Amino acid sequence: MASDHSAVSFFETQPGTRGGITSWIFSTDHKRIGIMYLWGIMGFFIVGMLLGFLIRMELIAPGRDIMDQQTYNVMFTLHGVIMIFLVVIPSIPAAFGNIFLPIQIGAEDVSFPRLNNFSWWLYVAGASLALVSLFTGNGPPDTGWTFYVPFSSNVTTTNVDVAVMAVFILGFSSILTGLNFVTTLHRLRAPGMTWTRMPLFCWSLYATGWIQILATPVLGITVLLIFAERMLGVGLFDPAKGGDPILYQHLFWIYSHPAVYIMILPAMGVISDVLPVFARRDIFGYKMIAFSSVMIAFAGSLVWAHHMFTSGMSDTAVLVFSFLTFVVAIPSAIKIFNWVSTLYKGSIYTDPPLWFALAFIFLFSIGGLTGLILGSAGTDIHVHDTYFVVGHFHYVIFGGLGFGLFSAMHYWFPKIFGRMYNMRTAKIACVIIFTGFNILYFPMLIMGLQGMPRRYYDYLPQYTFGHQVSTVGSWILVAGLLLMFWNLLQGSLRGRKCSGNPWGGASLEWQIPSPPPHHNFVTDPVVDRGPYDFRGVERDDCR
Amino acid sequence: MIPQSLNPVQQVDFAFYIIFGISILLLVGITLTTIWFVYRYHHTRNPNPEDISGNLWAEVIWILLPTLIVMALFYYGWVGYKALRTVPDNAMTVKVTARMWSWVFEYENGKRSSVLYVPKDKPVKLIMTSDDVIHSLYVPAYRIKMDTVPRMETYAWFNPDTLGSYDVFCAEYCGLKHANMITTVEVMPPDDFTRWLEDKSASQGAGRALALFEGYGCIGCHTTDGSPNVGPSLKNLYGKKQQVTLKDGSTREIIVDEPYLRQAIIEPDAAIPEGFSPAMMSYKDVVNEDDMNVMIQWFMHGNEVSIDAGRELMMAEGCISCHSTDGSLVAGPTLKGIWGRTAVVMQDGTERSVPSDRAYLLESITDPGKAVVKGFDPIMPPYMHLTEEQLDQMLQYMQSLSEDK
Repeated sequence: MASDHSAVSFFETQPGTRGGITSWIFSTDHKRIGIMYLWGIMGFFIVGMLLGFLIRMELIAPGRDIMDQQTYNVMFTLHGVIMIFLVVIPSIPAAFGNIFLPIQIGAEDVSFPRLNNFSWWLYVAGASLALVSLFTGNGPPDTGWTFYVPFSSNVTTTNVDVAVMAVFILGFSSILTGLNFVTTLHRLRAPGMTWTRMPLFCWSLYATGWIQILATPVLGITVLLIFAERMLGVGLFDPAKGGDPILYQHLFWIYSHPAVYIMILPAMGVISDVLPVFARRDIFGYKMIAFSSVMIAFAGSLVWAHHMFTSGMSDTAVLVFSFLTFVVAIPSAIKIFNWVSTLYKGSIYTDPPLWFALAFIFLFSIGGLTGLILGSAGTDIHVHDTYFVVGHFHYVIFGGLGFGLFSAMHYWFPKIFGRMYNMRTAKIACVIIFTGFNILYFPMLIMGLQGMPRRYYDYLPQYTFGHQVSTVGSWILVAGLLLMFWNLLQGSLRGRKCSGNPWGGASLEWQIPSPPPHHNFVTDPVVDRGPYDFRGVERDDCR
Repeated sequence: MIPQSLNPVQQVDFAFYIIFGISILLLVGITLTTIWFVYRYHHTRNPNPEDISGNLWAEVIWILLPTLIVMALFYYGWVGYKALRTVPDNAMTVKVTARMWSWVFEYENGKRSSVLYVPKDKPVKLIMTSDDVIHSLYVPAYRIKMDTVPRMETYAWFNPDTLGSYDVFCAEYCGLKHANMITTVEVMPPDDFTRWLEDKSASQGAGRALALFEGYGCIGCHTTDGSPNVGPSLKNLYGKKQQVTLKDGSTREIIVDEPYLRQAIIEPDAAIPEGFSPAMMSYKDVVNEDDMNVMIQWFMHGNEVSIDAGRELMMAEGCISCHSTDGSLVAGPTLKGIWGRTAVVMQDGTERSVPSDRAYLLESITDPGKAVVKGFDPIMPPYMHLTEEQLDQMLQYMQSLSEDK
């Protein structure tokens, strides 16, 4: 596709407009909205990371180290709320999905650009409200990100109302984004862009979109019910008024378990896009990977009560949910096997995005396999609510989504900025992050097996060694992350200029200039090949 | 004896081993294959890639294989779970009440304790509930964990087959002092357990020491109230300066400390207090070490009997987990200086001052929601089950914390 030399990068002011801040915050351009999400998400990631760092510092030795008990309880609540609702759930879909989904299917924008801008505003409003909850009322919430009743509804006097309101608003941001993506994928594909010619990243966003549309409203309802409980004294969950606290757990996990797939599916999509580009060959089992995304989205909606094996629900429910949980393991396993097979007989270029993708496969495998322990009813009882769960969750979400996000950042970086970061530094950062990650989270798996409960401010002496190793790991991890961010920031400002297609990608975003112009395509693209057909596609040189 | 056909810990551990074994195999396989591919098919070694869009048989195999594996794992996990849920018929029942932030274990004969004492080799069924928020009883050694839900009954069971002390944690986040909601399971020889269970005195320390003094016949010659008898009274003995006569007839002044008291019990003739004659028998090999420690503890701390009982009671009932005794602020007002101060309370929505006297404190224990001290949340449950005598012990203890020292 010949690019128009007069095309202005979407970063620059569009000719004939005034530009300025309003041309960003009121922009309906999916690329600008995506960039704004990216900055917000990165900012909150740093905040969440520092909270996690402080939590680890407190746990370096038994007893009080740097903060008191109430502060600690607030810290882990905020770490969870910020990371989950402000970073992980929006991360890949809202940032990279917004920037690249329309381009990848040959569309000029999403179906509802104004709604897209409104979603971003909801994100800002929700995030602001979350910040307000820190500094008003009776102190920041101390309930854990799960807001379990009756503690959150009747007992705590902290600022839970404002925080759940923030979650409510953020939920709408997520619903509207999902709705926008699903509609866009149905309605705006370019001529020749059939369902099986879509990049797998789009397929993963399609599956994610449906979960966002179907599951997130349940979160909204649950949050409103908490509100009714706290404000109006309705006795839905309060046992003293005849309510059922376990009902709350069901409602909460009906959303929050599928939410885990909202987090991980887009990362799987990134990996499915990155591996073939760097192996220079077609993806192995395209249809199976696309289908397994939809399978995960569907089956993943039916497993929520595996978070509740010890809650006091019936043994029959435990049987059913344990079984369904194992069913979800199958499509995830298929994906892993297909990814590894994609490397077979390729011609592999070991550039930074691939390093992060390979780290993803290893860490996500550990996350998935430790998930088997948690899905299995008998073993879950022992490790439920221990550090094993904390370790497992971070392997899945940080090792999975986090590394998928880092891979995406390094993969699409030259496309967004038209510049390249320092490759060598990026690889060093990747190794440091990977090392720190395992030193931080692997001891948690062991401590969990030894019986260390989570959300503990203080611990018995037998867990001291594990906690100390873990804390040292957090220092390494933070150092690696800061190096990575610094490298990317340097690259965006001073990196070597890159032409359109440094990795030799075959999907549509690589066929337009870097950074993309305001109008994605000068002429409407017509698609006549698959997204991973690299015949005749060369890697542009910019290094 | 009922045959121990079923040991849930072993069943659960078996599931652990199987899942970990398969997981490690898979992880090593995936990782080595990936590394090998990246090395072998690096573009410097394999410049010309080959497009392979899929392979039906390969994909069928790796759909079927994981399916079989996960179904097997599901089965073993379920077997372990069934074992955890199937309570043997001969189990003894202990009622568990969780509250912020302590445990109360209540036995069939009504005895209550904050530590879970159980006899060896007798399966124990825990019937659990909570007074306030959701907690979760977790004993890692027995692989059991079960939430305690207010107004709902849940259960768990375990078989204490080895003597020892095992940690009990609260595993469901329950607020400020969640991390301190820890106690132990103490597995005792059955005889010791029976003796403990039948021991009517509310307190473990003072009451037990007094029972021992009685059991060993000390009371025959020594009073515990300070009045003289054949031997010196046991009250306020510790730390006292005392003239004693040694075996060789010489006299000297000593301070009554732990070594002296031990010696006085094991070898009474070694040093006779002034004014008494050597008439006491040696308790060498009669008093065991445990009992000796309890008695020594009593000498050191337990002279104020009723206060000590009050303290132990308030610990067993969990009061101390919310009310400090040193003036620091936890979830409720501190007990230090609580007696006789003026409390500002919220009653029926209005603020007023009341003297913190006997009547007010009694009401605060049995009906805490009626007048809550300003600045605190009405989260304390009513303690209706306490007897008149127990309430007295608590009040005496609170009074003792309010005297200037």
